[in-house]
Amino acid sequence: MAEVKAVEVKEVITEEVLEPSLDKELRIKRKKVVDPGFDETIKKLTPEKIEKTINAVLNLRKTAARFLAPLETCIHCALCSDACQYYISHDKDPTYSPASKLRLTLWEMIRRKGKVSPEFIKQCARIAFTECNICHRCSIYCPFGLDITYQIGMVRRILFLLGVVPHNILDQDNSQSATLNQLWISQADWIDTIQWLEDETRLEYKNLRFPIEKEGAEVMWAPLGTEPKIATYHVVRTGIIMNVAGIDWTVPSKDGWDSVNMAMFIRDFETMQRVVLGLYENCLRLKVKRLVLTE
Amino acid sequence: MYDFIKDPTIYNLVRGPLVWIAFIIFVGGSVYRIYTLITLAKKEKVVFPYMSLKYSLRSLLHWLIPFASNNWRKRWVMTTVTFLFHICLVITPIFLLSHNILWHESWGISWWTLSEGTADVMALVVISGCLFFLIRRFVAPEVKFVTFASDYILLAITFLPFITGFLAYHQLLLPYKTMIVIHMLFGEVMLIAIPFTRLGHMLYFWLTRSFMGSQFGWFQSRDW
Repeated sequence: MAEVKAVEVKEVITEEVLEPSLDKELRIKRKKVVDPGFDETIKKLTPEKIEKTINAVLNLRKTAARFLAPLETCIHCALCSDACQYYISHDKDPTYSPASKLRLTLWEMIRRKGKVSPEFIKQCARIAFTECNICHRCSIYCPFGLDITYQIGMVRRILFLLGVVPHNILDQDNSQSATLNQLWISQADWIDTIQWLEDETRLEYKNLRFPIEKEGAEVMWAPLGTEPKIATYHVVRTGIIMNVAGIDWTVPSKDGWDSVNMAMFIRDFETMQRVVLGLYENCLRLKVKRLVLTE
Repeated sequence: MYDFIKDPTIYNLVRGPLVWIAFIIFVGGSVYRIYTLITLAKKEKVVFPYMSLKYSLRSLLHWLIPFASNNWRKRWVMTTVTFLFHICLVITPIFLLSHNILWHESWGISWWTLSEGTADVMALVVISGCLFFLIRRFVAPEVKFVTFASDYILLAITFLPFITGFLAYHQLLLPYKTMIVIHMLFGEVMLIAIPFTRLGHMLYFWLTRSFMGSQFGWFQSRDW
């Protein structure tokens, strides 16, 4: 892995027109956000790469009904607007409504058949990653029940394939593809953490166990990556609850114990599947009946 | 030009073969679009496992009854107009007296008809509904932002058969024979356009709504 330099992420408060190079109808007023994941990565993009990537994803329309149907049904009525918390909290700024976000990203890509500029891609990244959190409320407000967030997800997929992803999330995604957990915790670190936490907690609770790799247990517990890394008291509390409640539980020793799926958020489908598969493989190997996740 | 349009040959053309072509394309196209979408959905592993008749009907019902869903209540003006518009849009052409006479002359079938006065009012509702949607596209900023040229074209495709029919009935603007030929042409254009444009929301509404209703039902939630 190339070493990643820590870059200060800051927000400039003054409002300004974003990307004067864009077409007039696509220019929207936003606060400037500095993120190396956006600013540095778009420098490496070429028009050919953008076009090829966008068209590869857009071609999924021909095979995916969930992608196709909303594009061919939406009558542009903007009744989804009231659903969006970004739209409401920005004093009903029309550029924040769910349909507008599609109009500024996916529909424009389709209209131009993928021939868009790196600046346009950067604006898409800002919209898809920082102005929509894929909460699905717009589907409750759409008279047709269209899955608008699925479309935003496809924009994120394009951006991920182009590498234009928030710096922090891409780091966690890289971690998941290498270690199956989001914070670069090695297998040795994970086992060590569980064992010293057991040692310490046994001072207060007699005969308490954090059973690692117990085959045939009732429950396998999968924490969030942050718990063994920076919030070990959560591991302790879960352990105490399990012991006091008398639950037959275990944690796996092998990778695939993190229930966080950062890859899902940026639509890195390959890593996303491996993370889920890792959890289920551990369950199968330990022959547990139930998988318990934090949160 | 007028002479050309009111020429009996043109009338026979739009009254005969073009009607057949329009209806065949409309029915065939609709079946094709629904069939292809369902086949595609079957290939996706996450569509059909969610589908549930109970949750689909529950969702469809709440969105087909005016003011039964949260958003219908919030946007009450839009709700009133859109329900009146869509009801009149579908009912008027099917139960219009003169359309029934044409069917009776051609195939000897006819059914219950609207009185001419009622049909007149219903056509006016559709026409004013179109104007409402047009004005909304200019006035409401969130709608204006997502408006494309195609939206105006779709609105025109809906508007023209009704305005020409209305004008023909009242014998305004153009001579009756010319107007009725134009009316028939635009009606045929609309029928052909339904399966192949976003007017196809008439067909896809049932499917997309059912899927979303089933998904929300699966998670013990509701989508209205």
